[in-house]
Amino acid sequence: MALIKNKQICSDGWPNLKTSATSAGRVIVSHDEWLKNKDELILSGKRLGLTLEADEKIDEFLHDIGKFSLIIINIASFADGRAYSLAKTLRFTHQFKGEIRAIGDVLPDQALYLTRVGFDALQLPDNKAAELTLQTLAGFSAFYQPN
Amino acid sequence: MYLYNDFDQTLVNERVEQFRNQTTRFLNGDLTEEQFRPLRLMNGLYIQTHAPMLRVNIPYGVLSSKQMRMFAHISTQYDKSYGHFTTRQNIQFNWPKLESVPDILADLASVQMHAIQSSGNCIRNITCDPLAGVCADELEDPRPYCEIIRQWSTLHPEFSYLPRKFKIAVSGSPKDRAATQVHDIGLHMRRDNNGNMGFEVLVGGGLGRTPIIGQTLSPFIFEKDVLSYLEAILRIYNRFGRRDNKYKARIKILVREIGLETFREQVEAEWHCIKGGELTLESKQIEHIKQRFQVLDYHTDSSDKVLTEHLSSDAKFKAWFEQNTLTHKQNGYRIAFISLKAPNQAPGDITDKQMNIVADLAEQYSFGLIRTTHDQNLALTDIKSDDLYSLWQQLQQHNLATANIGTITDMICCPGLDFCSLANASSIDIAQGITQRFTNTATEIGDISLKMSGCMNGCGHHSIGEIGILGVDKKGEQWYQLTLGGSDSHQSKLGDRLGKAIAKADVVDAIDNIVNVYKDNRHDGEVFSATLKRIGLDPYKERVYGSH
Ligand code: SF4
Repeated sequence: MALIKNKQICSDGWPNLKTSATSAGRVIVSHDEWLKNKDELILSGKRLGLTLEADEKIDEFLHDIGKFSLIIINIASFADGRAYSLAKTLRFTHQFKGEIRAIGDVLPDQALYLTRVGFDALQLPDNKAAELTLQTLAGFSAFYQPN
Repeated sequence: MYLYNDFDQTLVNERVEQFRNQTTRFLNGDLTEEQFRPLRLMNGLYIQTHAPMLRVNIPYGVLSSKQMRMFAHISTQYDKSYGHFTTRQNIQFNWPKLESVPDILADLASVQMHAIQSSGNCIRNITCDPLAGVCADELEDPRPYCEIIRQWSTLHPEFSYLPRKFKIAVSGSPKDRAATQVHDIGLHMRRDNNGNMGFEVLVGGGLGRTPIIGQTLSPFIFEKDVLSYLEAILRIYNRFGRRDNKYKARIKILVREIGLETFREQVEAEWHCIKGGELTLESKQIEHIKQRFQVLDYHTDSSDKVLTEHLSSDAKFKAWFEQNTLTHKQNGYRIAFISLKAPNQAPGDITDKQMNIVADLAEQYSFGLIRTTHDQNLALTDIKSDDLYSLWQQLQQHNLATANIGTITDMICCPGLDFCSLANASSIDIAQGITQRFTNTATEIGDISLKMSGCMNGCGHHSIGEIGILGVDKKGEQWYQLTLGGSDSHQSKLGDRLGKAIAKADVVDAIDNIVNVYKDNRHDGEVFSATLKRIGLDPYKERVYGSH
């Protein structure tokens, strides 16, 4: 795995979901877990990360959005564009200021679009893919949409 | 037409380089077919029955002589010396090699053209009235607005992986010549009571397997808000449109399943969050885009004297004039259509030589501008009346003066079995059969829109043809389903099924029978749809099926 944040390859301060969702001072929870254990999680004083699927209904947690430092959106298939609208809604409509990370079927050729809708972190399968991603991110200097 | 500045040029150049890199990686095996697929589609490249097909955008159907010459060059250099104009005002090349596509795109970029989003599950080329800017009934020229929407939708980061393709059409006249009711979104320019410019917004129209006429989502959106409103619609569609079945993935199905009211509530709620924000169009932005369009310098002193003489001395010219030209908003000018439906030619096809001729004629007579129409023809929209005769003479020499615009031989027809892997039946040979049968009588019969698709995907728009022909497969044989009474003009309507499908060998006779019922029953000056409405389907059924 390789992580790109703010257009650089960097190490990950968050727990690796493959092994454990908790590390010292940080925990990543699913939307369901959050709804179930909300009070405890807040009391734990840990920094919180949340995982969402691209099609998840988010209305129930929106007023808690400020409690999270990280939102991970899992892209089940690269052709499923819902993650883009979800990230855009979180970042721009609900003004989420923390990290929004794409994981799952993230392709280098989509990186530029992902970063333009509010993702600031992309998880790629390996360093080779991450290097290519950095190149594709630099591929355009002109955009028609406001940023 | 709209002229690029450095910014627009940079964007298309960067896009070419991006695709060159992606193609190389695909050919090296670094991208899978599945991964490459959306990337090539969003650059206009399909893989079809025989070879790749490349579809190039002609934004809202306007192109220059220089651009037309580039099409000719591409078809000579990379294809089989012809191109095919589509019902969405674009051009397709049927035989390019995958490896050459980046070079073709670079050639296109050198004349301010591209194939961005001409295919794929994204916002496609914006289309409009082919007579925009020259028709007398226009409220406002829709092209600057099309350009604004084109820019907003080009490489849109959020809407490039939609559930399905998304088509937008804009009309600036009360008479809808852009088929806005059968688009995912149709925009009609309107003025409110205070004279403000805006749009009526239709949503959920479309042809294909489930043809549906679009409904009004909002009766009036101010021009300044049009982009944020479009963005709200697209966001709702992107989030909630079906992704489990590609035949149910268009926005029309979402609107139908949740109902127009619920859909409207969702759009309004989303719009509420973004309205007045960064997508708001200031009037100076709109003005800026308008100024990037060439202004045509019409001569106001032209007369129709020469024209009148030729009309009385040359009957063949007169027939062409009556069938293929229209009134222009400017006195002394006319709109001339170039039919791409000559006998023995696939509808919409044009050779490289003809493209060069059209480019020259446009330069000589029509400000160097050419339009493409929804009926797969071309138009030179700004011809001085007195030049019409010499224009016609030259068109004639190159098989471009077929006087059949609007008639039964001016049909729309998809590529069918000859090129398309999805086809159930051929369409080009049927088209040729019909052309042969009616060549000498077409103008006398009067205007009839005939539209034909080789399968239910409906690329030939059969469901809105006054006569619709749909290719169906019956145990491996090619059969054809006929419909009557469809319309794509102001009140769009889907055609009604005539009866059971007809064998290939009998299709042309069946059409002949239908036409004869019309001829036998029409009142003086009555158009095809009016006669049909008056006498109903039965007489047509009897004549067609009674004789089999
Ligand atoms: S209507 Fe069917 S056969 Fe014709 S082009 Fe479309 S998909 Fe192919």
